[in-house]
Amino acid sequence: MIVIDKLCYRSRLRYVNASEKFLYTVVTLVICVAGRSPAAAAAAFVVNGILTVRKGGIPLPRYIRLLMVPLAFLILGSAAVIVNVSEAPLDAFAFPVGDWYITGSRDSVRDGAQLWAVAFSAVSCLYFLSLNTTMTDILEVLRKLHVPALLIELMLLIYRFIFVLLETASAITTAQKSRLGNRNYRTKVRAFGSMGSALFIRAFRRANALYDAMESRCYDGTIRVLSEEQPVSRKEICYIAVFEIILLAVTIGSRVI
Amino acid sequence: MNHTEDWVIEAENLSYSYEENDRKALDGLSVRIGRGRKVAFMGGNGSGKSTFFLCLNGILRPDEGRVLIDGEPVSYTRKGLLDVRKKVGIVFQEPDNQLFSASVFQEISFGILNLGVDEETARQEVEKVIRELKITPFQNRPAHALSGGQKKQVAIADILVMHPQVMILDEPASALDTMHTKKVHELIRGLTEQGITVLMALHDIDYAWAWADEIVLMHEGKVICQGTPREVCEDENALKKAGLERPAVLRIYEKLKDKGVLSGGQIPGSMDELAEMLS
Repeated sequence: MIVIDKLCYRSRLRYVNASEKFLYTVVTLVICVAGRSPAAAAAAFVVNGILTVRKGGIPLPRYIRLLMVPLAFLILGSAAVIVNVSEAPLDAFAFPVGDWYITGSRDSVRDGAQLWAVAFSAVSCLYFLSLNTTMTDILEVLRKLHVPALLIELMLLIYRFIFVLLETASAITTAQKSRLGNRNYRTKVRAFGSMGSALFIRAFRRANALYDAMESRCYDGTIRVLSEEQPVSRKEICYIAVFEIILLAVTIGSRVI
Repeated sequence: MNHTEDWVIEAENLSYSYEENDRKALDGLSVRIGRGRKVAFMGGNGSGKSTFFLCLNGILRPDEGRVLIDGEPVSYTRKGLLDVRKKVGIVFQEPDNQLFSASVFQEISFGILNLGVDEETARQEVEKVIRELKITPFQNRPAHALSGGQKKQVAIADILVMHPQVMILDEPASALDTMHTKKVHELIRGLTEQGITVLMALHDIDYAWAWADEIVLMHEGKVICQGTPREVCEDENALKKAGLERPAVLRIYEKLKDKGVLSGGQIPGSMDELAEMLS
């Protein structure tokens, strides 16, 4: 998460209008997931990769490593679809285990592969958005979409204070280590527990202090801030429209065939 | 100082105690601050400086006594509080407790939008303060990627953008390196030039000696001494009570005078001035 945050601030696509990026991500995601066409999924995956790595300047090894993160879930998930345990062997493959078979049908193999492709392209869509858009920009888009202000304010504060708390936690852990807090398993567990409680108390104090500070700037219950949105580029909107139409055509095409 | 002076802050006999504590954080504190002055608040930890500051813009309501801002008693209604907070801004000691947004631009725009100005004006003001305080180089970095000094700059911009009459800085140089301390002090000098009354809590008597028009010594929730740096530094008892020593420049100056190296003249305001006298 921290890695993604660091990368998105360095992305070359950071200053592209956030609504555009959001629109692109959501439409592509919907077409891929609803259409379930492996061809469209592959196309989206490739385009997302090109946008993120070539255009955004996210280092390729980093990107690949990030894509590996959900890989295990995806493999397990599609395995559940493909692999069956049954008394009779199915048509795709079958391994006898005693009187039973670990087996799968052609249909289930196809479903599994399709699921895999769609999920992977969906992941790449979300990576495109999160690796090239800062959290504050995403919140700005949500605000425009009339997501309730309370939710947005909560997200704004949580996002800011994740980092403050992480810093505090790591400072406490360092202090504990320097007093041999992680000498063995027992002390490690104890140190972790006391770090947690100290963190909780500090978070509480911080919340109070933050509230005071906001009040002293005339806070009245609504957080109002200026948006920093970049201008929309017609050219980019056209590109997005063309791409989505192609994607839609591929999806429909693969259905017909 | 006489009765015709233009007081921007008057605190009369303030008392305050926190719920969880029997000891009074403020115990009959009275002080008056003239407009446009540079005032250093000094005293040990727990002497009540921060509590006093929070009383000045109505975050805390004193149990006894009253606060007058601009000659008007603070009214603890919604409107009254907005009014006083518009006049008196506080830059808190720990910027991480003040900066609530990851975006510097959004952060600075918060206060001024709360004053009810339109977005266009707010945008101009925010951009102006970003330029003035030299925040531009790190304007697009997230708050969690800023250094302590940069966070402090943003924290000052947060308040400055609201154009307060009084600006309170609670230990602005704490946890900063020498370079950033200098930078922050420069910023503060700029504030005074704009006619803002600056109240600053600090522990560095040498800096207070050089910077302040007035020093207020606090101890156990009371003001034990107020006056020009010279007056305050002559009151050795009060200094001792507040846990302070006399400024180094003053001690050296007096030693040099005793030894006959210097023959009187103006008391130096800073080490640089003393060096000047010796050359």
